[in-house]
Amino acid sequence: MSFQVGSIDRTFRDELEMACNVDLDQCWECGKCTGGCTTAHNMDYTPRKIIQLIRIGAVKTLMSCNTPWVCVSCRLCVDRCPAGIDIPRIMDYLREKSLAIKDHGPGVDDIILFHKLLLEEVYKRGRVSETALALKFNMQTGQYFKDAGLGQKLLRKGKISPFSSKVRDLNKVRSFFKQEPDRREV
Amino acid sequence: MDVAYYPGCSAHMMAREYDQSARLVCRQLDLNLQEIDDWNCCGASSAHSFDRLLAANLGARNLALAGQMNTGCVTSPCPCCFIALKTASLELKENEELRGVFEAGGTSSHEIKVTHLLQLLTEEVGLDSITSRVTHRLSGLKLAAYYGCLTRPARIVGFDDPEQPVSLDLLLEGLGAQTVTWSHKAECCGGALAQARTDIVLDLCGEILEAARQAGASAIVAACPLCQINLDTRQQAIQARNGTEFNLPVVYFTQLMGLAFGFSPRSLGFNRLLTDPSPILQTLK
Ligand code: SF4
Ligand code: SF4
Repeated sequence: MSFQVGSIDRTFRDELEMACNVDLDQCWECGKCTGGCTTAHNMDYTPRKIIQLIRIGAVKTLMSCNTPWVCVSCRLCVDRCPAGIDIPRIMDYLREKSLAIKDHGPGVDDIILFHKLLLEEVYKRGRVSETALALKFNMQTGQYFKDAGLGQKLLRKGKISPFSSKVRDLNKVRSFFKQEPDRREV
Repeated sequence: MDVAYYPGCSAHMMAREYDQSARLVCRQLDLNLQEIDDWNCCGASSAHSFDRLLAANLGARNLALAGQMNTGCVTSPCPCCFIALKTASLELKENEELRGVFEAGGTSSHEIKVTHLLQLLTEEVGLDSITSRVTHRLSGLKLAAYYGCLTRPARIVGFDDPEQPVSLDLLLEGLGAQTVTWSHKAECCGGALAQARTDIVLDLCGEILEAARQAGASAIVAACPLCQINLDTRQQAIQARNGTEFNLPVVYFTQLMGLAFGFSPRSLGFNRLLTDPSPILQTLK
């Protein structure tokens, strides 16, 4: 994948550094973050490259690449980084900022959909039923038989059930949401 | 000792055997787990991915409810919930405004001690008390203690080592079992990507299972619902893809504690595991 730098946009970097409480000038470019990263081989740009992309202000690339979405928040990078740069927090920031972008491409849209459906459950019930979530996800992505065999086995084992508990003070939980989650945006 | 208990959504659903066995062994250790009334979901990896403030608020409400119970300590068996609560607690310390919304009497929500159940058991209760309750030593079991991301990031977790953790190994050895030295004890299973990117999770779990097998373990021991579910329920799919037969039971550490304390496999929910655990149960007879 190539990227266009154009004119360097410091604003994005400054805002990110402030929000994530990081100083990217401290990055040694040593690559330890990437070396330990759980999903580096699935990423368009590895964590070390992401830091450099932020430094040169390649906002467009940062907003459209799959990296933050396939990051599994395992937090190995931040513990290995000699400069203590909080990469998982940067990934959170990039996810939040790039949410508005449509069509992240295959492999990413599904991840976003999953998060949206999960938060929709939290909004609706205050708690998440894994069964309901899996079913909804499979329906929405048209994979009606995905893991169907596994589902049957789990049902027999009593591991999954269509029932789930609900929070009583739902209004309080809902008040934490900026807006009602709407999966149609995906 | 009274402890506020935050089970998390999985413990109410797919990981019921974790919750069930945790409650049994804690009772045996005179730990009174009191479930937080009306707790809400921590938001898993989705809330912090979409909206940091949402994640902080979800955690803060749970901490405030726990604070009202005046136990001074809250524990969760789920590492994701634990990290979410702990992150929220740190956020509350820094952010007075956020704190103000939630103070409702009792222990202040940012002062309550947040622990993972493994931490509570090994640090607060202690290995000596645990081993003194053992009636059925787990001799003959060779186990791979699996921590995944539980001890990371060190700055927030503040317990054990981020990459070479030992607490679970020591606990299992205290129960009379043997633990293997292996490469993947603190590697990530892919967690929440299981639904949306099953391919990635199958890769990661395949490597973890293979490492445990090569180290000669007869079972993997988990301290996380997501890890247990991924490693246990995806085993057949990995087998179908790679052709390796693992047949490695993936059990919760609380289930093994329960066995060592003399509880029946059924009462500990061994029947709910997908990969047949009877080979390891038979070794113990
Ligand atoms: S580990 Fe830290 S210092 Fe090294 S390249 Fe990654 S972010 Fe930079
Ligand atoms: S937290 Fe994300 S970026 Fe960091 S090592 Fe894990 S997967 Fe890679």
